[in-house]
Amino acid sequence: MFVLLSQLRSLRRSTALTRGSTPRWLGIRHVDAGSCNGCEHELGLVTNPLHDLQRYGLDIVASPRHADVLLITGPVTTRMVEPLRIAYAAMPTPRLVAALGDCALGCNVLGHPDELAGPVERILPVDIRIPGCPPTPQQIASQLLAALERPADSGQPLAAATAVAASGVRTDGERIRD
Amino acid sequence: MADALDGGERFAGAWATSTGGWRIALTRGSDARVLACQPADRRLDTVVDMVGAAVWDEREAHDLYGLEFTGHEPMRALIKHPAQPEAWLTPVTGPGVHQVAVGPIHAGVIESGHFRFHCVGDRILALDTRLFYKHRGLERAAEGLGPDQALAYAARACAACAVANSVAYAHAVEDALGLEPSMQLRRQRTVLVELERAYNHLNDIGAVCAGVGYAAGSMAFSALKDRAQELCSQAFGHRFMFGTVAVGSGALTLDAGAADALRQRLRELRADAGAAWRDLQFAASLQARLEGVGVLEHDRAIQFGVVGPAARASGVLGDVRTASPRLAYEGFTPAIAPRGSGDVASRLQMRAVELETTWEMLDELLAAPLVAAYTSQRERASSLGIGRVESSRGETVCMVELDAGLITRLHLRTASYANWPAVAAASAGNLLPDFPLINKSFELCYACADR
Repeated sequence: MFVLLSQLRSLRRSTALTRGSTPRWLGIRHVDAGSCNGCEHELGLVTNPLHDLQRYGLDIVASPRHADVLLITGPVTTRMVEPLRIAYAAMPTPRLVAALGDCALGCNVLGHPDELAGPVERILPVDIRIPGCPPTPQQIASQLLAALERPADSGQPLAAATAVAASGVRTDGERIRD
Repeated sequence: MADALDGGERFAGAWATSTGGWRIALTRGSDARVLACQPADRRLDTVVDMVGAAVWDEREAHDLYGLEFTGHEPMRALIKHPAQPEAWLTPVTGPGVHQVAVGPIHAGVIESGHFRFHCVGDRILALDTRLFYKHRGLERAAEGLGPDQALAYAARACAACAVANSVAYAHAVEDALGLEPSMQLRRQRTVLVELERAYNHLNDIGAVCAGVGYAAGSMAFSALKDRAQELCSQAFGHRFMFGTVAVGSGALTLDAGAADALRQRLRELRADAGAAWRDLQFAASLQARLEGVGVLEHDRAIQFGVVGPAARASGVLGDVRTASPRLAYEGFTPAIAPRGSGDVASRLQMRAVELETTWEMLDELLAAPLVAAYTSQRERASSLGIGRVESSRGETVCMVELDAGLITRLHLRTASYANWPAVAAASAGNLLPDFPLINKSFELCYACADR
């Protein structure tokens, strides 16, 4: 235990992670809709001590009922359309949909058209786009934060604001949650 | 078939073709051959009574290619997802028997798949796994493409096994085309396969910690895995080493300075991983959960055709690295399980032991620079090729059929595909709350199996 904890402590020191600013919280539910497991591996790492997504108030939650964001990976196979819709319907509003990785965005080596129903935007309205094959943990964290860290009371509609955030240019946008 | 098995040959996979043909691959050491037939009316006799490992292969051929196997009773759906429970569930009845349904969407960051547990109280009587939610039709999508284009479909089957699957595919095509890799090509591919094994084993050790909720271990190994992938990215440009394998050649280069730098970084990683592993030995809340849980007995591991660390943890000796003339494994001796008990403890320990071998091999392989490498024509081209690679999860077999230079059939039988039936077998009789741990101790890919 001692070695593990001291390794973790020295990692935290060497990566010199900054604290998040304002207190806030955003719950993310992940749904794998047919990915190659690459996005899952990278997403799994964003909560480790090297990236520590939780310090920004972002965390992966166990159920869509606790989630603000549905984070979807993969090209959406025919067999995952229904479970995906059920998960989305189970979310409280307001809710956001994030497409994680090139497959979810419909621009990769996907598979046979007979087996696919995607990309995600054919099934659900996409607010946040995170490209990459797969996006690195750093890219996932920064893109999610770009969607979250927008000045309050700008009056800009959410969908437009997140589209700007996804393009990597941060401008005024509506705050998702205080 | 019976003669072949009596003669010491091993079943390595079977696949149907779009014209209703049926192929069975058999191996002995580094030799592989294929039994082919063209059954009338798409009907033929089952081999599952002789080869328990062929159950999924036959069910897949039934679902996707409409082959009928006389004697394979009941023929339950595997890839198709019929609505009627009796079409895919094991009938389990009795006082107090109830079902627990989990998935396809899980609570963590996990791939999609459905588990149906038949329980009495907390005790699992039987488990039906319904996978293939992620079936993307990759094999069919590759048909009609040239060998270079089709590689992407083998590579994208699974990110965590991308190198093993790509190298198996490259071997299969080179086998068909009669090409022999040069020593330099063998070396660079072996470096890639072993680097992939290193980050996967680190991941899988962390996964077992996560399976019992031991956060310190899971976080430490998650960070170690992250570091290993970062080394892959620095040396070869991608954290999963996508795009590093080609058919017929290898463009990777690493000059003496870069190879030595990678070697040094790997030594540091090895030291840190070793210290973290030693620490796990004294984590009582972890250790108390491992022994006697999820036991896969030796006989059943053989019956199910289990491969890789999971098989070796059950005392089944077998590692394709001992029979890989297309890679640089001369003199390789497979690690022997410190305990062949086939439980979670044994599978966890197996990975740590094999990780040591991998560090050793990488240290040796990176003592010289990597240079661009090629294949040479060794024999005449044929229409069929087989490639085998020991991935971090075990033997991965790739078969390709070619016609006029184009892929007419690509089949990837990964270690995850071979081992999934064993997860259900090892779970029966255990407590339901131990299932995540048992599952993590195999740590199979869904993407690899579903394709």
